[in-house]
Amino acid sequence: MCRRLYVLALLTAGLWRPVAGQATDLARLRSRADSLSREWTRANAIADLADSLERERAFAGRDTIAVGALRIVTNPSPLPVRAAAELAWPALDSLYGNAAQDLARHPYIIRAFDPDTSVPRPAVFVGIALPWDMTTQALAALLVANPPMPSPDQTLVSWLDGTLRPGRRAVEERTDVYVQLVTAPSTIVRACFLGALAACRAALELQRSGDALDLWYPGAAERRALVTRSFADYFNHGAGAASFQACAAGIDSVCKTLLLRLPAGTLPRPLDAEARTTLLRAALRLGGRDAYRRLLADPGAPMGDRVATAADAALDTVLAGWRREILAARPPSVALPWWAVSLALAWATLFAACALRSSRWRLG
Amino acid sequence: MLYSQWKWSRLIVFFGALAGFALPLVSLQGAARADRSPLAAQDLLRAVQSWGALYPILAAALGLLVAVATWAPDHQGRHVHALTLPLPRWRYVLLRFASGAVLLAIPVAAVLLGAVLATATATPPPGLQGYPLALGAHFALATAVAYAVFFAVSAGTARTAGIILAVGGALIVVQVVASTANVDIDLVSPLRFFILGWAGPFAIFTGRWMLVDV
Amino acid sequence: MTNVIDIDNVHYRPGKGFELRDLSIHVPAGSIYGFLGPNGSGKTTTIRLVLGLLRAQRGRITVLGDQMPGDATKILARVGYVPEQPHLDPTLTVREILRFQAAFYPTWDGRRAEQLLDQFQLDGERLFGRLSKGQKAKVMILLALAQQGDLLVLDEPTDGLDPVVRRDILAALLEYVSQRGAAVFISSHLVHEIERICDWIAVMDDGRLVTEAPMEQLKSGTKRLRVSGAPAALGATPFALFNREPATGTTETWVVGHWKPEMAPFFSGIGASLEEVIDLDLEDGFVELLRSFRARPS
Repeated sequence: MCRRLYVLALLTAGLWRPVAGQATDLARLRSRADSLSREWTRANAIADLADSLERERAFAGRDTIAVGALRIVTNPSPLPVRAAAELAWPALDSLYGNAAQDLARHPYIIRAFDPDTSVPRPAVFVGIALPWDMTTQALAALLVANPPMPSPDQTLVSWLDGTLRPGRRAVEERTDVYVQLVTAPSTIVRACFLGALAACRAALELQRSGDALDLWYPGAAERRALVTRSFADYFNHGAGAASFQACAAGIDSVCKTLLLRLPAGTLPRPLDAEARTTLLRAALRLGGRDAYRRLLADPGAPMGDRVATAADAALDTVLAGWRREILAARPPSVALPWWAVSLALAWATLFAACALRSSRWRLG
Repeated sequence: MLYSQWKWSRLIVFFGALAGFALPLVSLQGAARADRSPLAAQDLLRAVQSWGALYPILAAALGLLVAVATWAPDHQGRHVHALTLPLPRWRYVLLRFASGAVLLAIPVAAVLLGAVLATATATPPPGLQGYPLALGAHFALATAVAYAVFFAVSAGTARTAGIILAVGGALIVVQVVASTANVDIDLVSPLRFFILGWAGPFAIFTGRWMLVDV
Repeated sequence: MTNVIDIDNVHYRPGKGFELRDLSIHVPAGSIYGFLGPNGSGKTTTIRLVLGLLRAQRGRITVLGDQMPGDATKILARVGYVPEQPHLDPTLTVREILRFQAAFYPTWDGRRAEQLLDQFQLDGERLFGRLSKGQKAKVMILLALAQQGDLLVLDEPTDGLDPVVRRDILAALLEYVSQRGAAVFISSHLVHEIERICDWIAVMDDGRLVTEAPMEQLKSGTKRLRVSGAPAALGATPFALFNREPATGTTETWVVGHWKPEMAPFFSGIGASLEEVIDLDLEDGFVELLRSFRARPS
């Protein structure tokens, strides 16, 4: 009995040390974390203070130009700010609708400088510095491309591969999408071109799905082409070479296995961001002035539902309308325009006339 | 005139027609395959685009060779026979030009026929369609321009040709010297724009030479 | 007498060096006009001016009553030309060349062309480029004759040909002239040939005309004289004195032009004695003419 108690006491003493040590480490780590957290909070507060001071400095002595809900704070200069704002505002307003009114709370801060001076300029921590010989068109494009709108949710940004901006080449974008629909090496994209809206949903990634590979590339030939063309360098070396060859020989299971091994997010999307952007713009046009706000309202919903909510219409309706717009944007045919034909004939005639006037006919 | 022109140009015309007829057929050789996989469109466009680069080359070659052959008999005789014929010189030149142009219609027709045949027998994927007439017209115009240019050069004196070459050479030399001396002069781009730009004499050789396209 | 060719004070200078100066030539209608001169004297250049291949800087050229080069098309329809070098398409057969040529000349005589084809013993299906030099010359003559023009211009048509071919060509030429009464303007440096067929002759040297005269007048008027006792200084002479060389003792050899027998008493008038009058053939006369022409101060 005493011996058992003695052993128990010894064991307890032995165990007590590490347990006690662990508790000490934990407390130390906890204390350290608390300290870092306090430092972090202090640093943030100082940074916020610095930002606000910079903003105060940026605003001091500047003019504020208001066009619609656009607010631009800038120093007096020849930079055509108002004219550019008048060009940019309608584009912003037509895309964002009522949400564009938020721009009134987020002004642009522009510091215009003389491009011809060699005097060193002070560093700009808030806003952007622009040469004041910039053209109205260029400045308007800049304003449209960089509106200080609140960033949308990450799901939307990932889906769009960026943020949504007013388009300056709407027709060209739709033409590009048309070409993608026709030439993309994907069964679902081709089916979308031919009118299968379900395929369009899959190609535009409007539905949540567990297996992107099966959804986007259901055919064996497509998977083989992906491995042997798009990822040939990635797979065809070292230990993976044998599998690569097996896939190239036509064993689909091997191709599938290889593609599933790709890092997340590297599987090529059947349609690029331009297609999704054109769909979203079509939905926003359909949905009216509150469409953009409705788009952002529920970031957790599937993209298809968000698009339908923004458009205030069924998703298939939006898709059908989008597809019609894309098909209508078919690129011009390769046939030469009449003026090119006329020019060619004119040049041929001119050269023939030169031959008629040649002085070669005189032997001396 | 046409007969004598034919004697000089028949081999050129024959092989040109052969090449022109075969080119569209070869470029679409995979179009009618049965699998109709989604890869077909990309593969087809890639093949058509690659082969399409040969059309302007063929047009330029035909124009050059037929133009040289047009003047060959006169060059050999130093134009004495032509100058002593009882017809105005401009009319003689026009007859020569027309005879060469008539013969060039053969390879142009061959390209058109080949293109029509190729698109009629092929089944392009959905969304793609054939443009045989557009391609034929494009080829015809390019051949006409090339023929007219080289015809004019061949009709001119060696001095004229020398002046043209000298001007071009001088521009290149000035550009090279300026580049070496770090002087910011760009002569090549304006020249390229002048020649190949939308209104230039050789603009017809640019553009899309696609038998099948979106 | 009307002239088929009138060249009046023509001046032509293609560049540094050679120059045709103040050239005046008149070819009478119906004549066979020989154009004689050494190589490089300007014969071919003159012919090219007549045919409108070259343009004179000064002067006037009238051919068959029309101005050259203004009425070139009209003139060339009536002129048959045989150049020095073959100028025809070598890839055409002889018959094809005849067909080609016939298309441009309304006066083309196809039957005559066939006759000449037989006469010259030419194979109509042979390529022009494969013919011998003589055969090519025959084809070019054939074309000129079959055109039935009013003027034939021949630039050294028999140069480098063998005697048989030369004879055939000249015979055809003479036959044509006798039948049509056409004029012939023929250039050559073969004096004997010119002497045989021409009734007029012009001599060129270094771009200038040396003399132009009827053949008989030039031939009969050019003599070699053996003269003795003639004084060193002579005044005006009734003949053209081309050359004067000492012979033996006080005897001299004179070469004169435009000689007539009634000029013999001139020598007694200057206290000299005319020992002998020797006829010169055209070649000797041609050489003496050139020698005296070149010896004159410019």
